[in-house]
Amino acid sequence: MAGAATAGRARGLPLLFAALLAWGAGGFAAYKEYRSPFPPPGEIHVPPQGAAGDMFALAFGARRVFADLWFVRLMQYYGTADLSEHEAHAAGGSHQGCSHGADFGGGNYPLFLPLARHILEIDPGFVSAGLYGAGALAFNINRTTEAEELLAYGLRYSPKEWKYLNVLAAIGYSKAGNPAAVAEQIQPLLKEPECPVMLKQLSAFLNKKAGNYAAAAVIYADIAATSHDAAYVENARRELSRLAGRTEK
Amino acid sequence: MTASAVSFSGVEKIFRRPRLLGAICHTAVQDLSFDIPAGEITGLLGLNGAGKTTIMKLLTGLLFPTAGSVRIFGLPPSGQAAKAKVGFLPELPYFPPQIKPGAALAYYGRLSGLSGKELALAAAAALERTGLEPHADKCIAEFSKGMLQRLGLAQALLHKPDLLVLDEPVSGLDPLAIHDIRRLLAGLNAEGRTIFLSSHSISDVEKLCGRVLIMVRGRLAKIVARAEWEAAPGGLESIFVEAVK
Amino acid sequence: MRNFLPLAWAVAVNSFVESVRHRFFTLFSVFAFTAIYASLLAGVMAVDQEARVLADLGLALMELTALAYVLFQVSSSLLKEAETKTIYLVFSRPVPRGAYLAGKMGGVMLTAAFMLAVMGCMHLALLSFRGFPPPEAYAWALAGSFFKLAVITAFAFFVSLFSTSSVSTLVISGIMWTLGHFVSETRFIAEQAPGVKAALLKGAILLIPNLQLFNARDAAGVTGALSPTAVFSGAAWILAAYFASLWLLARKEF
Repeated sequence: MAGAATAGRARGLPLLFAALLAWGAGGFAAYKEYRSPFPPPGEIHVPPQGAAGDMFALAFGARRVFADLWFVRLMQYYGTADLSEHEAHAAGGSHQGCSHGADFGGGNYPLFLPLARHILEIDPGFVSAGLYGAGALAFNINRTTEAEELLAYGLRYSPKEWKYLNVLAAIGYSKAGNPAAVAEQIQPLLKEPECPVMLKQLSAFLNKKAGNYAAAAVIYADIAATSHDAAYVENARRELSRLAGRTEK
Repeated sequence: MTASAVSFSGVEKIFRRPRLLGAICHTAVQDLSFDIPAGEITGLLGLNGAGKTTIMKLLTGLLFPTAGSVRIFGLPPSGQAAKAKVGFLPELPYFPPQIKPGAALAYYGRLSGLSGKELALAAAAALERTGLEPHADKCIAEFSKGMLQRLGLAQALLHKPDLLVLDEPVSGLDPLAIHDIRRLLAGLNAEGRTIFLSSHSISDVEKLCGRVLIMVRGRLAKIVARAEWEAAPGGLESIFVEAVK
Repeated sequence: MRNFLPLAWAVAVNSFVESVRHRFFTLFSVFAFTAIYASLLAGVMAVDQEARVLADLGLALMELTALAYVLFQVSSSLLKEAETKTIYLVFSRPVPRGAYLAGKMGGVMLTAAFMLAVMGCMHLALLSFRGFPPPEAYAWALAGSFFKLAVITAFAFFVSLFSTSSVSTLVISGIMWTLGHFVSETRFIAEQAPGVKAALLKGAILLIPNLQLFNARDAAGVTGALSPTAVFSGAAWILAAYFASLWLLARKEF
């Protein structure tokens, strides 16, 4: 007699069959439904130090986290170099050749576009980063072609993202030398949580330049109240005190 | 004729350990046939590796026979009906140290199908029966070896089984604890429960059992009734030594 | 069979209580607490994106901490019960092996849910302390993490029943976790690949549970609810792993 063990093995076959069926059903349903919202791996251009981070991002389903860390890296790369230069001049007692921070954020930053684009390659839903990158490239570093390239990439995976379209339009108007239209295009973004402070600052500056001091003051007040970036907050407060005199007059 | 509580018929158990090429086979028990009458205390003696624990596990459905059949009150041991009639005490039972004995018994009582008031009463009765009531508020970590063994017995008694299968119930206990356990088992048997216990201690088996099975290298060498060993000059020990030589 | 659910529940509760009482649970909780609050530093560095960074880092850390603990529990659970012979006291009783297995799996999933709930409260407290509201679709993000953990728990139980050590269970389950997040990339490669390679890759896609389905915390823009298909697939994978585990457990001798 073969024994209970053999009989048990035969009885167990329906279980195994049910397991395979259920696993197949789950896999098939997932295969049919799931469409990745992310760029394919071939589009991820890994900057000099970053392959390991990207691997972890994909392996642990932590794209957003690593996109955040890349964003922090971008901000560190962009940093506050110009303002630091102004402070160094002040400490040394000489301001010769110093722009006093007026040329806010200008500079070379050759890796800015690859770093900014990399954030969107990892997480195309990181709209703030896309707007920040495009805004910095277009309006601070004056590399509008790169800004447009970044926004075009963002629109590929977020085609309904109107904020990208507005900033594209603003860049177009900026190239055409129409600051009022630039401010008009940026205006709807100001209330959005994803609006980077640099675009707010640009809008305030354009309003001030056009003589709309009240509107500029409102935006500077918003920056001072909501931003955590010390440089922008300090600048906003400075501008507010200047504008206070003008609006009183 | 007394009904059989346990019936082994031509039972063989071979353990296979797969290797890269082929497998290593070890025959734990072979050609094993015996009956344990209901209501008796039957002992199982043998040297280490004789197959005693294998038999215990075949009885409780933890192992499946390679050949032959095992029956518990006429039922297959791996079935739920048979298991409801069996209370098992393995050698050196383990309980989570940080809980109290009542909590451990409550868990095993639920697994035996008890609940609510019935469970509470059964747990209290088991603690009292095994002399653990004074220690009910202690954590199991504070229990001595004898107390742990009693707790093991208590969990086996929860669902009032008809058959108690005890693997080395007095292993490592002091003489007083052994005496208490023996008295407890005699009391349980007096209530009509069948007890099947394995042991290394010939003297304990002699004092408690009405029959003894002697296992030698996986085979049943001898079945000895009380009358036989009481009549033998050297008692059960001499019969055992003769059987295993 | 009418006792199946009460027995499974008894095992589940026992497994959950033992999990939570385990000294490693305290260690993991302390680690999670420290890590979540240490993420404050990254948040500060992100300046105006602090809310997003705190939310993302917190959710990711919570998921990884819960993953580590449940895999540790699963890889050692059945092995420990066999070594201490606790399992003898269970299977010598009229407990169907299916009920025991369901209870064990349920207990670990309960533990995962509990960990996520506790860490979620810690996380929300931190966000509130920094003046940020709960992120959008937070509950769905946690639900998604729970589903992922439930699928990998069921799979790990299956592995633990045939693997020779708890380390191999941990490693195999960890590999399946990472493969589960690479399914969309695998699909992309399969679509580009020729002939046999494409067929093999497509087979792999069907075999590997797509954990990205439940990755609500990582979805582009955190769009929110898990789809009914995701829930169906998750349930199917868990059920499949349960049946396969039961097939192994029913044949297992102790």
